[in-house]
Amino acid sequence: MGNLFNKILIANRGEIAVRIIRACRELDISTVAVYSDADQTALHVRLADEAVLIGPSSVEASYLDQEKILQAAHQTGAQAIHPGYGFLSENADFAQAVKDKGLVFIGPSVEAIAAMGDKARARQRMQTAGVPVIPGYQDQDDFVSFQAAAEEIGYPVLVKAAAGGGGKGMRLVWEAGELASAMAAARREAQYAFGNGRLILEAYIPDAHHIEFQILGDQFGHLIHLYERECSIQRRHQKIIEETPSPLLDENLRTEMGLAAITAAVAIDYTNAGTIEFIVDSMRKTFYFLEMNTRLQVEHPITEMVTGIDIVQWQLKIAAGEQLPFSQSNIKQRGHAIECRLYAEDPENNFLPATGTLLRLIEPRGPGIRIDSGFTSGDEITVHYDPLIAKIITYAEDRPAAIYKMQSALRECVVLGLPTNWQILIDVLSTDEFLNGLTNTTWFEKHFEGWQAPRCSPPPEVLAAAALTQFKLDGRQSITPENPAMDQYSPWHMGNHFRIGEPK
Amino acid sequence: MIYRYQLLDHVYEIQLERQGDHYLATVDGETFQLEILNDSPGQLSLRFQGKPVRLYWAEDHGQKWISFDGCTYLLEKPTPKTNQLDQMKQKSGLTRAPMPAQVQAIPIHSGDIVHAGETLMLLEAMKMEIRITAPIAGKVFRIHVEEGQFVRRDELLVELEG
Repeated sequence: MGNLFNKILIANRGEIAVRIIRACRELDISTVAVYSDADQTALHVRLADEAVLIGPSSVEASYLDQEKILQAAHQTGAQAIHPGYGFLSENADFAQAVKDKGLVFIGPSVEAIAAMGDKARARQRMQTAGVPVIPGYQDQDDFVSFQAAAEEIGYPVLVKAAAGGGGKGMRLVWEAGELASAMAAARREAQYAFGNGRLILEAYIPDAHHIEFQILGDQFGHLIHLYERECSIQRRHQKIIEETPSPLLDENLRTEMGLAAITAAVAIDYTNAGTIEFIVDSMRKTFYFLEMNTRLQVEHPITEMVTGIDIVQWQLKIAAGEQLPFSQSNIKQRGHAIECRLYAEDPENNFLPATGTLLRLIEPRGPGIRIDSGFTSGDEITVHYDPLIAKIITYAEDRPAAIYKMQSALRECVVLGLPTNWQILIDVLSTDEFLNGLTNTTWFEKHFEGWQAPRCSPPPEVLAAAALTQFKLDGRQSITPENPAMDQYSPWHMGNHFRIGEPK
Repeated sequence: MIYRYQLLDHVYEIQLERQGDHYLATVDGETFQLEILNDSPGQLSLRFQGKPVRLYWAEDHGQKWISFDGCTYLLEKPTPKTNQLDQMKQKSGLTRAPMPAQVQAIPIHSGDIVHAGETLMLLEAMKMEIRITAPIAGKVFRIHVEEGQFVRRDELLVELEG
């Protein structure tokens, strides 16, 4: 580890900043955190070796402000910048700016980010490389052209933002009459979220699984994959539960998809960690390239669990010019891992993000349980950022054991002060479809449509405890013969030279 | 001592009595015996009817959060007005912010006639678009916020006249 960095800056916040700081510590690299006004006392700031305030709470004025982040790197003498996920992680201009300052961007090349950043161009590139892509259209994005293209592909179709991701600027269209309004809505959202309103069209596969392959490549043309992650359980196009191995894939399909993932990455000379997302038609057992995420993924821990490879450490080593010491045949999937994303969301309020003080957070513990979190008890969850409280990851010998471990871990998890999506995670884990591994990308929305948190009445233990804690609180504040300590007028508690009948 | 707590629409009453080193709690006519095994901040270990139980709790603005056996309960001080407020919210032309957010766009103007379900406002919070729609058909009487403004949860956004 002789040639690793001495100091790096982490241009992110929350759990992923904490995750990267931990990897740096293990590799003896000093860390610089950046933070906004709202994050003055955040966990990533407390854990880093140094921290630089980069602006007000809104993301545009802080975590997305390239100049301020570059300035912070310059001022602290950081040699490299890790962008985490979200924010500037897939911004080719930022990666270029980092390079121009003589610093290392911990991620792929500027060219690779740009090549995959535009979905239409990425698709063409993959098609040329021989990677199967979903039938679609990505030419002129006016209504008339789209109408004609949609007829040719056949409804239902997906209208998507060319620059998109995370389900923003995406609309499912079942029939011709809905196309115009879907295009308008998608364009507005895309313009707002990505600053680019360009749209593309894709065929929609009804019984689809979302399965992605983790890629790792060094700067010497050595590329491997770390197998798949099944990410079909999504709400509003956001993943909430991920697992690996995928219960859908057999050995043949897994091998075939792994090869396609490598082909895709080789086509753009990919380096560092990245993810190739595929849509798998579970009926026909065919798969299509969806997009590539040129960054670390939220759900990377499950891959780390089953392969034993520390992806974040390798991101750092690869960026510093180290060679991958293993080949594809050395990488094995062992056991089963699941991740549940615990969000501050209000089930009584249509699952909208909840804000407030995290009065108490107790994380489950035990063998095979990993928690990646950016918060501790007493922290504030604000309106400015993602409401992810913690990622709960369990690892066990096989799938049923990993599910039982997750159920048990969730039951041990305590969050007080904010409503969470806890109950719905528990409910998903106990459905027959999930237990049998039959959940596709639309299953969650269908199965949980109109879902409401059970309104159970509190058991007597809870009511008695409420009364008891109140009794103790009240008792502490009242003056009783047993508890004279609270009597502020008692002469016995005076610290001065008070004397009764003191001579003049 | 009598304690009252509200969870959603229901009010629960607990009678608590101290008897030497243990307590008697009466809920709904049934009496339970409890003993404190350990009382550290925010954590309570009890012997409840002879069985050990563990609870976590926190208090915030008079609300009590209690976690027991994997479930979390939010107990509030009883407020008689909850039901009335709910009814008012449903039927009136007042729209409020469902969560703290920033106002992104207001496609309507004061005096416009809108139908029920029409978009009144787009809010954004945590990178999510939240569409505020008209609860009833009517005329826009007053718009209380401006584009770009940050709003609190339950803050009044638009008033409609039915």
